[in-house]
Amino acid sequence: MLRHIFRLIWNRKRANLLLLSEILFSFIVLFGVGTLLFTFGQNYLLPRGFAHQNVWRLNISAAQGEKMPRPVLDDVLRQVRALPGVLDISLGSPNTPFRFLTMNSEFRHGNRKSDITDRYDADDRYLTTLGLTLREGRWFQARDDANPRRPAVITQNLREALFAPGEPVLGQLIQPADQGFQATGQEEYQVVGVVENVRPGSDFSGPQSGMWLRLVPYDTTHWEGAAVLVKVAPGQGPALQQRIVRTIAGVTRQWSTEVRTLEADRLDKLRVTLAPLAALAVVGIFLIVNVALGLFGVLWYNISQRRAEIGLRRAMGATGRGIGHQFLLETMVLTTLAVAAGLLLTVQFPLLGAFGGPPRVYGMAMLLATGVVFLITAVCAWQPSRLAARIQPAAALREE
Amino acid sequence: MNLAAAQPSALAPAAAAAPVMLRLTDIEKVYQTKTIETVALNRVNLTIGQGEFVSIMGPSGCGKSTLLSIIGLLDEPTSGTVEIEGRPVTSYSDKELARLRNEKIGFVFQSYHLINDLSVLDNVELPLLYRAGVSGKERRRLALAALDKVGLSARTGHFPSQLSGGQRQRVAIARALAGGPELILADEPTGNLDSVMGEEIMDLLLTLNRAEGVTIIMVTHDEHQALKTERVIRFFDGSQVQ
Ligand SMILES: Nc1ncnc2c1ncn2[C@@H]1O[C@H](COP(=O)(O)OP(=O)(O)OP(=O)(O)O)[C@@H](O)[C@H]1O
Ligand SMILES: [Mg+2]
Repeated sequence: MLRHIFRLIWNRKRANLLLLSEILFSFIVLFGVGTLLFTFGQNYLLPRGFAHQNVWRLNISAAQGEKMPRPVLDDVLRQVRALPGVLDISLGSPNTPFRFLTMNSEFRHGNRKSDITDRYDADDRYLTTLGLTLREGRWFQARDDANPRRPAVITQNLREALFAPGEPVLGQLIQPADQGFQATGQEEYQVVGVVENVRPGSDFSGPQSGMWLRLVPYDTTHWEGAAVLVKVAPGQGPALQQRIVRTIAGVTRQWSTEVRTLEADRLDKLRVTLAPLAALAVVGIFLIVNVALGLFGVLWYNISQRRAEIGLRRAMGATGRGIGHQFLLETMVLTTLAVAAGLLLTVQFPLLGAFGGPPRVYGMAMLLATGVVFLITAVCAWQPSRLAARIQPAAALREE
Repeated sequence: MNLAAAQPSALAPAAAAAPVMLRLTDIEKVYQTKTIETVALNRVNLTIGQGEFVSIMGPSGCGKSTLLSIIGLLDEPTSGTVEIEGRPVTSYSDKELARLRNEKIGFVFQSYHLINDLSVLDNVELPLLYRAGVSGKERRRLALAALDKVGLSARTGHFPSQLSGGQRQRVAIARALAGGPELILADEPTGNLDSVMGEEIMDLLLTLNRAEGVTIIMVTHDEHQALKTERVIRFFDGSQVQ
């Protein structure tokens, strides 16, 4: 019977081409949606690499034309640190996690070059304030004041990009990638530690390689603003936020302070990430429903076109059930052909390493697309096949 | 053995002599639509002996095709019984009915009913496709033998659209023959053909009946053809008149 069906499909290749391309199209759409979904899901399950809960971000800005001398800034940090409920405080660059603000460049060690890497400034308290996890070496310390080079802490994935596995990293030098070899010593960072990977983008973004450089602002007079992270005790809220604002205002009336939780930043970012995803999902679902309806229509039409054939097959000894099975089998064979074409096409992604996605994600997306396409076609073929099974042979043979 | 002579309706002597192939008793067929009720068959009693060649005649709409569908187990009568080889078909399941159609009955239609997307050979193999335990090789052999009988061995790879009407009907007859049926039901097999080709088909059916002993029931509008058969049954308005 299967050979008979193959022959029938082959001889009707023109009519089947539409059906085939429709199934192939839905396979590709599902593969795309699946790839995104699995990428996001996989990222979501990875550790964040830092603890943003109970961390607040202070945006301190000097008034127009005002200066931000280091002694005043130090006084502010000291006083805020002393408030009950504040556990830790750290001065850094404004590109804190979840913000729509990144600073990045590429780095080099020997002849190895990194991908785009987030670059942060951080003081000696940053590790504990943000809750990064140290893997190797140490965080910045007061004794780094004596180091003529700027100390750096890098993420594990940056280590993997710049150093061979097992190659010692502590004490090694890293340069910005765009700097010529002649300019050695000008800009060189000395690695003092390695931290676990971080995912500062959003809940669904992947690990981003990062590098923290020790903030050594001996003179901050040219600063117009300062980004401060504050780790507070669990349960702290608006009351403490207001006390912080008042405390800073108590030091200098010229500066203004805005307090935001990193959790609020995270939710903002999530909203912006999810909006296009939701739109995509709606478009995807719409497309799939369209394809399913189209498939249903084409199958229905096919069967109404083939009533005489159905009557004839019944006369030749087919049972009603047999007819239903034949139509179901025909659709499944077509689906198998379309899915085979789709797999052949989509397997190129992991093979060619297109878009740099991990092969596992592509593999799972292919599996998902295969499963859903078979499910959709089976569901769409079900009713028309039942209809075919119930066609009265005598009536079908009478029509001409 | 129950003989046809026991039936109330008048029967030709030939039928009485042969073992019974088929017996219809008080067959009624009523088509019920929303607006109208059509009595297509009204108390039909009929016995067909093995090896008979019977023609059925009557004006359009008198129920000839309906009768053939019921005999061919493609439709059920509203009331009355159909017996095949002494057993009423109401006792058969759907699956058994399909098997009976497959093994005992061959169909020939006025409009051929070939599957246009299958080659001549594939069309002729069709009844064997629905028979359990027939290998692909055996199917092919039987189909080729049937095509040889109708003189179309040279056309096996053609598609129906590449054949003339007479050739198509010969393919249909080969298909009816391929399964080795005991009974062939032909509903106006020459209805779409000119007289020369009609003659050809008629000769083919006569040869089958005589040489192979196949029982044939043929609906026709052609008196001349009907006279060539052993028995003519005439219908009028759903009832047998002769
Ligand atoms: N499915 C159906 N529903 C309603 N009425 C039907 C149906 N099939 C047949 N009939 C009616 O039953 C009657 C007998 O039809 P049938 O096709 O058996 O006639 P026929 O003798 O074969 O005619 P013809 O010589 O034109 O082929 C007709 O009046 C027809 O309209
Ligand atoms: Mg008719």
